[in-house]
Amino acid sequence: MYTPLRIDPTKALGDIATFQRKLAAGMGHLRSMREPEYANTPRELVYSEDKLKVWHFIDHGKTTSKTPLLIVYALVNTVWMTDLQADRSMVRNLLEQGEDVYLIDWGYPDGADRWLTLDDYINGYLDRCVDAVRARHDLDAINLLGICQGGAFSLCYTALHADKVKNLITMVTPVDFHTPDNMLSSWCRNMDVDLFVDTMGNIPAGLMNYVYLTLKPLRLNQQKYIGMVDILDNPTELENFLRMERWIFDSPDQAGEAFRQFIKDFYQGNKLVKGTLEIGGRPVDLSMVTQPVLNIFAEQDHLVPPDASRALGKHVGTTDYTQLAFKGGHIGIYVSGRAQREVPPAIHEWLRQRA
Amino acid sequence: MADPANDFIRDYQSLAQQSWDAWARQLQQQQPQSVANPFFTPPPAPASGNDTLERTLAGLKGYFDWMQGAAASGAAAQPVDWRQQLQQLFGGAGQPFAQAFGGIDSAGAEGFARQWQSWMQAAQHGGFGDLPGTHGPTPAFGQDREQQMKQQAMAAAVLESLQASARYQALIQRSNAQAMQRLQDKLAERAEPGRQIDSLKALYDLWVDAAEEAYAEIALTDEFREVYGEMVNTQMRVRQMQQQQTEQFCQQLGVPTRSEVSSLGERLQALRREFRASQAPATEDRADEIMALRRELSALKRQVANGPKAAPAAKKVAPIKPSTSAVKKSVSKTPAKVAHTTVAGKAKPSAASKSRPSPRKRK
Repeated sequence: MYTPLRIDPTKALGDIATFQRKLAAGMGHLRSMREPEYANTPRELVYSEDKLKVWHFIDHGKTTSKTPLLIVYALVNTVWMTDLQADRSMVRNLLEQGEDVYLIDWGYPDGADRWLTLDDYINGYLDRCVDAVRARHDLDAINLLGICQGGAFSLCYTALHADKVKNLITMVTPVDFHTPDNMLSSWCRNMDVDLFVDTMGNIPAGLMNYVYLTLKPLRLNQQKYIGMVDILDNPTELENFLRMERWIFDSPDQAGEAFRQFIKDFYQGNKLVKGTLEIGGRPVDLSMVTQPVLNIFAEQDHLVPPDASRALGKHVGTTDYTQLAFKGGHIGIYVSGRAQREVPPAIHEWLRQRA
Repeated sequence: MADPANDFIRDYQSLAQQSWDAWARQLQQQQPQSVANPFFTPPPAPASGNDTLERTLAGLKGYFDWMQGAAASGAAAQPVDWRQQLQQLFGGAGQPFAQAFGGIDSAGAEGFARQWQSWMQAAQHGGFGDLPGTHGPTPAFGQDREQQMKQQAMAAAVLESLQASARYQALIQRSNAQAMQRLQDKLAERAEPGRQIDSLKALYDLWVDAAEEAYAEIALTDEFREVYGEMVNTQMRVRQMQQQQTEQFCQQLGVPTRSEVSSLGERLQALRREFRASQAPATEDRADEIMALRRELSALKRQVANGPKAAPAAKKVAPIKPSTSAVKKSVSKTPAKVAHTTVAGKAKPSAASKSRPSPRKRK
């Protein structure tokens, strides 16, 4: 009879020795390294308000698109996932394709931003950012690319300000928040959000990160770092790893009121698909989204399950709706090698056909 | 008689300890010096930097200890009963799963348990001793009545919170136990030559798969949802009471409180909104009318697109690379609605999208 465990004792001891040796040497490597920089694709500031900034990426004359593309990122984490490192930058690849790219950097909310609501973010900040880009190009409408929560914002915005959006792209965007595999949604369903926000005020980034880590506690809190030991002697890979760590943990706090409303209306109430959502007292009706819509989701997304994104097709009013399924996860869709090859070209081609 | 393998492990453990100590020293050098003040809960550490290193080190140490334990216990030798051996490797107190959960309750997460401890210590140092209310509510009287009642309410809230946390921990333990069973099942599938586990790392990875699966299953249950919500809510009640007590203390000292500052912020934000609204009255007044017209237009467009002779067709779902099985799955789950485009990069926009007026220049 066979046993499933055939671990060679000599090999096991060798593995332990190797692990320890790499770890010991790794301390030296870490000491000699500096904080990894993001890609920092050349950009110019074109609009700012409070802590928000709108960046325009310098295209060096490669732009072929006549309509600018404004990226609307989530309030959680920083926008630099879209421009993480030189060879893994969605922004840079979109520029290479010929898109004219703008990006909203929401900044880091503090106590002064505690009372910002979704109305302030969507009908206020986002609307003024869109206006700023429209004014620069003297256009009635521009293209929007919303990412994750920013995708939900973009959907609301498009439903409320249809005349200012020409084409809408949503990436890993939750639409139906009550799919059975949505762990985050399940966890916050019984939370007393009023008590939570009244007590916490702004929601600390560390607490948000804690929740994300507990979605996959072993993989994200231990296995990942064990894997890191294998690359401690590889400066390039180690730098990439540390850059990703920087991005993961260098997160903004969440403005209390906006968080309250987002959890209540989206996660708990699922009002976006129920058609009962109101932003600033105005109803958000997804059937009002009649622009061409490209909905890109990740098949292995543990934060926004694919079904949560797929639901969009059932609710938007457009007659020109396209879904793209990406083989990867919530982050891989921006930074994996496959993503660099596939996602920006797909976006550009879709936009080109609707120019 | 000499045992070369065990001697090697002992020597190696000594060497390894020196290495861990060096990492720990490295961490300590980077830690800011904390002030020992029982009335002061230290602010959360920066989300990056030390917090990350601390978490990293804890995770690595857990794994390394587990490997050493496995090697020392003879896991690498051919087992007589591999199931029993698994229990020894993963079922004991040294299993690395606890590290994974212990490590994430860091300062960055504002370590709730740590905060309760600070509060309890502060209360005890402040002369409260055995907190009133911890053994049930007691009617209070006299000049300090209100203070005593608040202390009792706080103690009751802390207890409630600890009970909720215990229920949460019980679920984590259940997931732990189920992980063991899953690991055994996974290993049982790998008994035949060619699929056997031949390294500690491979065994660890398989265990992670099993543990995450078991955890995910429990974490999606209604029971977990209820326990999780209760844990968060009870923690928040404790925290809110802490804040109220702190505010009372600050008021006595004439220090502005968070509530007062927050209230100012709320009024300021309301004024900003009013100011912006007053600058664009015409647009606001017409918003409802414009929305109604848009709805009407949208309904007409759909009516035209779904004309009586037009047969409904499924919306297409394109993978980034066509012809994957996942795509077919997507198609089947996407309800039929209206005809449209496209496989990215191959099809052209539908007539409907082409007929949509293109954005015009304002001039």
